[in-house]
Amino acid sequence: MGSMIEKVRNIGISAHIDSGKTTLTERILFYTKRIHAIHDVKGKDGVGATMDSMELEKERGITIASAATYCQWKDYDINIIDTPGHVDFTIEVERSLRVLDGAVLVLCSVGGVQSQSITVDMQMKRYNVPCIAFINKCDRSGANPDRVVSQLRSKLGHNAVAMQIPIGLEADFQGVVDLLSMKAIYFDGPNGDVIRMEEIPTELLETAQSKREELIDAASLFSDELTEAILEEVEITEEMIAKAVRKGTLIRKMTPVLMGSAYKNKAVQPMLDAVLNYLPSPDEIENTALDLDRDEAPVLLSSDSAKPTVALAFKLEEGAYGQLTYIRVYQGNLEKGATIVNTRTGKKTKVGRVVRMHADQMEDIEAVPAGVIGALFGIECSSGDTFVSQGLNYTMTSMFVPKPVISLAIVPKDNKSQINMSKALNRFTKEDPTFHTHVDEETLETIIEGMGELHLEIYVERMKREYNAEVETSKPRVAYRETITQRGEFNYTHKKQTGGSGQYGRVAGYLEPITEGDEDFIFDNQIKGGLIPTNFIPACEKGFQLSMAKGPKMEFPVTGVRVVINDGAYHAVDSSDMAFQAAARGAFREGYARAKAVIQEPIMKVVVESPTEFQGAVMGLLNQRRGMIVGAQDEGVMTVIEAQVPLSEMFGFSTVLRSSTQGKAQFTMEFAVYRQVPQSVAEKLAEEFAQKKKNES
Amino acid sequence: MIKQEMILRNTLRQLGFESQEILPQGGFGAVLARAGVGKTAFLVQLALSGLLNEKKVLHISLNDPVDKVAIWYKELFRLLAAGDETVNKTAYLESLLPNRFIMTFRVEGFSVAKLEERLSDLSEQGIFTPSIVIIDGLNFEESKIAEIQELKQMAERRGLQVWFTVQTHRHEDAAADGLPLFFAPLSHFFDIMLELRPEHADVHIKVLRGGGAAGESALLDPTTMLIKENL
Repeated sequence: MGSMIEKVRNIGISAHIDSGKTTLTERILFYTKRIHAIHDVKGKDGVGATMDSMELEKERGITIASAATYCQWKDYDINIIDTPGHVDFTIEVERSLRVLDGAVLVLCSVGGVQSQSITVDMQMKRYNVPCIAFINKCDRSGANPDRVVSQLRSKLGHNAVAMQIPIGLEADFQGVVDLLSMKAIYFDGPNGDVIRMEEIPTELLETAQSKREELIDAASLFSDELTEAILEEVEITEEMIAKAVRKGTLIRKMTPVLMGSAYKNKAVQPMLDAVLNYLPSPDEIENTALDLDRDEAPVLLSSDSAKPTVALAFKLEEGAYGQLTYIRVYQGNLEKGATIVNTRTGKKTKVGRVVRMHADQMEDIEAVPAGVIGALFGIECSSGDTFVSQGLNYTMTSMFVPKPVISLAIVPKDNKSQINMSKALNRFTKEDPTFHTHVDEETLETIIEGMGELHLEIYVERMKREYNAEVETSKPRVAYRETITQRGEFNYTHKKQTGGSGQYGRVAGYLEPITEGDEDFIFDNQIKGGLIPTNFIPACEKGFQLSMAKGPKMEFPVTGVRVVINDGAYHAVDSSDMAFQAAARGAFREGYARAKAVIQEPIMKVVVESPTEFQGAVMGLLNQRRGMIVGAQDEGVMTVIEAQVPLSEMFGFSTVLRSSTQGKAQFTMEFAVYRQVPQSVAEKLAEEFAQKKKNES
Repeated sequence: MIKQEMILRNTLRQLGFESQEILPQGGFGAVLARAGVGKTAFLVQLALSGLLNEKKVLHISLNDPVDKVAIWYKELFRLLAAGDETVNKTAYLESLLPNRFIMTFRVEGFSVAKLEERLSDLSEQGIFTPSIVIIDGLNFEESKIAEIQELKQMAERRGLQVWFTVQTHRHEDAAADGLPLFFAPLSHFFDIMLELRPEHADVHIKVLRGGGAAGESALLDPTTMLIKENL
């Protein structure tokens, strides 16, 4: 294991589904000698790629949980997080990006920059992750790396600069020309591990020279040395260009573009060199924690192993030997036997086994130094928890976690499944903050909630496969909610005299919609002169807040309500917390009835990429689903249509889309906003609600 | 309130035009300026006025992706409605958006035939039938008279009011009427022509052609890109 921090790279491999990132990772592990044979994603040999460690992933050919792995290339330590490509699992991508210092954006040379690449790129921007791009699948029919480079510029706004040009394309793809050394590189041997450097083929010389000029031009913006060399017409060395490109990449002002074909074992090694040359080491990245003792003041962390430890648990996995906690150390050293504190719970823990992961195999190590990703055994925590040395009270910046938009009820088929289901749910909710579960108080059904149909489907299947828990599922339910649209006054007196001590409390004021910000509930106490004694105010707030859980209109959760209380009355003997809580509930109902309540539904941002000839049909499909088409982007042979569609209309959309476009269109979907349902839908929901109530009674 | 505010601030009214409806059906309007002066912002304000008047607006951009165009609308709406605390601005803007459709093309991929095909797709399925069209980024230096002629015929056939941005250059020869030379042969297609010209800290909007308002001018605030009030 290398020890110098400047020789460490923590990188993610992010991309659109099916752009070949798992195959790429597999080749990286092969060339870095972590594995000794190559398997394909949908392996005919029944083994599957090493990074797809879950059975389900192997079967579907997609990556769900990001496996962290470690390898060495030219005496550098590289920690790789393989990230999932489907939008439903973006929390995994987000969590990975939080702990990474750099990323390789893998793009398909045929498909180019697709909608998921755009989502992933936005996430990279959010966490300020520098990246290099790898245009994969140059051997495929229709491969056009030039087009992808220009898409990186036009669609993602990257200052993308090709570092290589391909030698041949499609079936004729043989290798690449490196524009720094101006050499042709070929990859021989059955696994492409024999590198042969040759002179550039004559027919490519002119293109190579002009592309090198472009590269030098772009890089010169980041290096005075290079600019001077150009102006003084002295020799421009490889080192000069590489230094300038690195500088531009680290500040996210430049994206070096590499190309190759992982599947055909071509040009993966130069991409690894680029990881070392252009992506940052941990000490080149600024990381901050929040000091809870100083009102969450940001504290700059340093990758110094001698300083107190600060580490983030970013992923949990239940393995054969218990819970495995993936951890990134930002400062200090996480040693076997050391005592660390979980900032969230305040619990002290002794570090037991420390390991370095290689997909689902592991290697025992003594310590995880600052800047490195490792894993711990036997640590009780949730994903996103911060661990620190005793005496510190830091937390790493909280991660943005979207609220779930879809739910379904699950019923275990038998008693054994019931027990296993509980175990599975316990683990999944710890691992994935976007996956929630609760028991419906009325129906006593177990409800699971998540970010999309596929998200929940995958968990149901994982329950079956990994926990042997057979469950029946209900139709997915959309997370409707209620809100108010105008001010509603209340003046409610709760009075009860039924023997013994009575109950009395009067609460007056108004409810109004919250128009700015995204707070769900604001309680504003404007009581003056002790009309309601201060000690009863928390009871009032609680009463209002509890009422928000189930709206009076259709029993959906209520959001976006500001409650103002400005008048009230109490009784010296009969007033109590309970009385004021009851008064607040009554007041809420009274105000709510006057506040013109409406039902809102989740609206999804749907992006469909379709061959241009089907764009009319796709727009028709979206329109039939109450979709509002925001726009259509003409990309030559493809058109990208962006729409906002109610989630309730999106069930089964993938099947319909496939059949209407001969399977050539694909879509991504993510939550956008809550919006009021149209009258017809409100009426239908009201009918369903009335029916449900009737059945219950 | 927002509607009233926007009507008061209506760019065309400020320029002395009697109403927003200054372009006839099938009419062309042009906003001429150098790069970065505010042509897009200006046209987005016209589009927002149209949306507030319940018109359907098709915004065609040959430069920017859909998301970026949408941000123009969001930002300018936020600025225009800044003084009004009475309504939920996000919800208000969202209520206008079903009447807006953004279409983007690569400059080289744009053609009148393709646009006509797209418009037919939308209107035949009852998805969207615009009455105002904004075309941002058409290169008039390369546009042929035949292409503009085709556009004109399409606009007349469909009863569209079409606004264009026209990019000019600093050191450019002008025709006798002050129009850039490359634009002069096309100018007869246009009913209204406005020019945005930066002078010191302000941007002047000058009416080069258009009804009774020719020769009128107004100022644009370069920080917000909104028209300055009470000139």
